[in-house]
Amino acid sequence: MRTFFILLGKELRSFFLSPVAYIVLALFMVISGFSFSQAITLLQEKPSETSIVQWTFYPRWFFFYFFFLFPLITMRLFAEEQKTGTLESLLTAPVRAGQVLLAKYFSAVIFYIILWLPNLLYLGILHWVSDGRVVIPLGALGGCYLIILLSGLFHIAVGCLASALTRNQIVAAIICFTLILLHFLLGMFLLLMAENVPADMKDLVNYFATTQHMSYFTVGLIDTRAIVYYLSFSLLLLTITHQVLEYRRWKA
Amino acid sequence: MIETHHLSKQFVGRTAVDDVSFSLRRGEIVGFLGPNGAGKTTTLRMITGYLPATSGSVSVAGYDIFKDSLKARREIGYMPESVPLYDDMRVKEYLTFRAKLKGLKWSGVTENVNRVIELCSLGEVRSKLIGVLSKGFRQRVGLADALVHKPALLILDEPTNGLDPNQTRQVRNIIGSLGSEHTILLSTHLLSEVEMMCGRVIIIDKGQVKADDRPENLIQQFRASGALRMEIKADGEAVQQKIAAVPGVRRAVREPLPEGWSLYQVKVDPGADVREPLAALAMQNQWPLRELSLRGVTLEEVFVELTQRQG
Repeated sequence: MRTFFILLGKELRSFFLSPVAYIVLALFMVISGFSFSQAITLLQEKPSETSIVQWTFYPRWFFFYFFFLFPLITMRLFAEEQKTGTLESLLTAPVRAGQVLLAKYFSAVIFYIILWLPNLLYLGILHWVSDGRVVIPLGALGGCYLIILLSGLFHIAVGCLASALTRNQIVAAIICFTLILLHFLLGMFLLLMAENVPADMKDLVNYFATTQHMSYFTVGLIDTRAIVYYLSFSLLLLTITHQVLEYRRWKA
Repeated sequence: MIETHHLSKQFVGRTAVDDVSFSLRRGEIVGFLGPNGAGKTTTLRMITGYLPATSGSVSVAGYDIFKDSLKARREIGYMPESVPLYDDMRVKEYLTFRAKLKGLKWSGVTENVNRVIELCSLGEVRSKLIGVLSKGFRQRVGLADALVHKPALLILDEPTNGLDPNQTRQVRNIIGSLGSEHTILLSTHLLSEVEMMCGRVIIIDKGQVKADDRPENLIQQFRASGALRMEIKADGEAVQQKIAAVPGVRRAVREPLPEGWSLYQVKVDPGADVREPLAALAMQNQWPLRELSLRGVTLEEVFVELTQRQG
């Protein structure tokens, strides 16, 4: 456990010492700030069934930037260490490959969570300056954070795997993005298909369709199928990554 | 300290290490020699547990590197060939991280980090970024990292590779000063280094151990089967044939010298001293003879002889 925290500390440190982290953080704050201000403008213009929380967290352009986050966060994790050879000194120290993997994974998860914290601040400030007249639906807020965390866990695991597969960061980013996009498109495809297939097939959709999950959770509807789906797939992907790390040693 | 039993490693389509067995006793300093691509690094990586062996086993300080990996690795200080370091860390910070990672107690971390900074003369760069350090300093940071947890076994893969003569000397002095506290396995292709520092040398080529002995013994052995220099004033096919016909001579190679002299490099069988028959031969044929001597064999020649590709 101590080894894990030493490694986690080191990983977090290198996250916040790399310029990429600040570029991502800055860009992301521009986008989420823009989403928030758009949400307010829209709600000022006309009444809407959609809450301020949903507008802020899940705007229409959500998927245009969401999927770019993960390659940027995860491409460095293993690819860089394989390129510079530091993976050799790391794995010959008395540490387990699993500890290294989990430390890297959770450092990325922590960074990802930090990305989403300013949104909470925006809503808090809005609530405060409006003297509590703007009501923040807490259920929806919880749902938003839950689905963002869950799909983050899943997508970061995809990124870990991609980064472990290659020693080139760009290649890692491309693999990660492609896998994420394929997963998303599969969900979309099933969602469209669902209109023309037997009812029991429709159940399948609820497991895969990312858009479906988003629209349920962001209104505060917690669907346990999605929780199980994302958690179990994250675990599976991490297990595969662990195998890849071990296998690379067997092979080369 | 190290026991390797019939260690083999196969990569796709080729065998890198083929049935290597040797052992190191506590306190020994052993040079691990071989041409590039002989399988040195692969062997060291198997000993440190970075690569699993295809067959055979390694134990370090009594722990199997595969089954008792963490315990075995705690005993090893390993400096990989290219000295991989985190460029975005500062020297002291890096050593502290490594010391903690290798399981030193919190209280011992600072003490040991300061000890290796002192030992490897890193005082002036302790708060510099590793990325800006010169090759010599990087090498010493790598060495400090290998030493920080006071390992019983030190494995250094070409520690002086790519350094200028002064830096090489500094690194050698550090290794030399470690004395008998550590068992050291040192891979290199610099023979002078081995002659200077190692009590024993293991020569490996094409994945196989070709020799495992004290450097002096190897030289001794090869002097017997070494070469003779013979300078005579005679030339021609017949002369060469007559020399080659002397019992114990393997072959003679002629090199022309000025003023009609010829130098014959005579290779002889192990244990044979053919100086007398050769002198007699020269007398008999009335070849003017001005030198006939056993040539001193260096470790370099032993190395070349053992590892030269056939043909």
